[in-house]
Amino acid sequence: MTGSVDPGSHGGWRALLPVTLLVAVAGVQVMLATTAGLSAWKGGGFGMFSTTDDGGRRYVRIFVTAPERSEEISIAPSLEDAARRAAVLPRDAQLSTLARRVVERERRYQRPVDAVRIQNWRVEYAKETLAATPRMTREFLYRVDAIAAPDR
Amino acid sequence: MWTRLLRPIDDGHGVPDSVLTLTAIVLLLRPLDVWWVAPIIIAAACLSLLSRAVRHAPITWMLIALLIATRIVVVWPLSDNHIYLLAYWCLAIGLALTSATPAATLSRGSRLLLGGAFAMAILWKAVLSPDYVDGRFFRVTLLTDERFADASLVFGGLSREQMKQNREFLKPLPEGAALLTPPSFVEPPRLRAFAIVATWGGLILEGLIAVACLIPPRARLDLARHALLLTFCFTTYALAPVAGFGWLLATMGVAQCRPGQSVLRGAYVAVFILILMYSEIPWTGILADWAVR
Repeated sequence: MTGSVDPGSHGGWRALLPVTLLVAVAGVQVMLATTAGLSAWKGGGFGMFSTTDDGGRRYVRIFVTAPERSEEISIAPSLEDAARRAAVLPRDAQLSTLARRVVERERRYQRPVDAVRIQNWRVEYAKETLAATPRMTREFLYRVDAIAAPDR
Repeated sequence: MWTRLLRPIDDGHGVPDSVLTLTAIVLLLRPLDVWWVAPIIIAAACLSLLSRAVRHAPITWMLIALLIATRIVVVWPLSDNHIYLLAYWCLAIGLALTSATPAATLSRGSRLLLGGAFAMAILWKAVLSPDYVDGRFFRVTLLTDERFADASLVFGGLSREQMKQNREFLKPLPEGAALLTPPSFVEPPRLRAFAIVATWGGLILEGLIAVACLIPPRARLDLARHALLLTFCFTTYALAPVAGFGWLLATMGVAQCRPGQSVLRGAYVAVFILILMYSEIPWTGILADWAVR
């Protein structure tokens, strides 16, 4: 037996535990991808190189409103990490984190902010012509001093 | 229990040194990017290269697996898939080193991990993704991903001017907007054929590897599995910009070699080095410069 590596049943749970974890994580990834918009490329489900819907073709647009203010803001370097996470997985948790960072940043610069609206966009390509079209996949509203409001 | 985790297993049925050494090298070649995780993993990998006792101690690999898992949680959901596979692999090494038959346990663990990863890749490509089987993924990626650009010039027969023009065409306009003179789109038959070969070649090869890894091992099947895995590494990583994944696959292939299969083991080490060359030498760029001269 010593000369025969992997006869098919060696190792018991020690050989099975890593692949069990892989399957469990991949199952969660598929669930998040189909129900919460997680990019196929991320999350441990091995969906990389399977779709054009990768992080590079997803982006967020951020709008800030206050009594005398309503404008789209650019993604500052301090917001880039949170914006990437929110683009790849547009769930309430990621979007709320991004919105909180926006509020903190606006307040640091003494700019008023009552609400932050975040739009998730992705680029889609037509089947034959490959014509590129941006499509909004989600809009999220975060009110300052209130719990994040549900989707509109 | 604790002494068992710290004590290197007596050899005889032990995990080959080459597997552990290559895994440590993988960890050093592409350090993780979280500052409080990376130095510990780099130090552990260095120590495991320098000391046989550290290399063969289960706790070394379990600790590394735990740190990689921590990194995955900290940067969630941005980690690439090979980072997950690296964590499972280090855990598999740590667990195998605590077993009575480490080499056989790791070989089986390696086979199952590869089977799981490739099966999931097939599920995504063939079933879950809306734009892989119809060829859109590679048609777009060969033009828009800078890392594939030189290969598209060489194998797709595009000129640099056509590439630039196609990229303009593939840029999305704001909703409702239209250009007065939209850029035209040029897709030579060779480029279309390249996309089809990449789409279906990848799908078929990955499917065969998944099957070969997941059905119970037999002598002939073992050789077919090795041949498929080596072919995948040899072809895919010539173009795909994910050397870290390729190194890991080659290392996991070494773990499945039987004690007498030194030629096969050498082939995996050669492929490991070849992937290193692929990643460091811009060979498609050199060919592209030569082709368009």
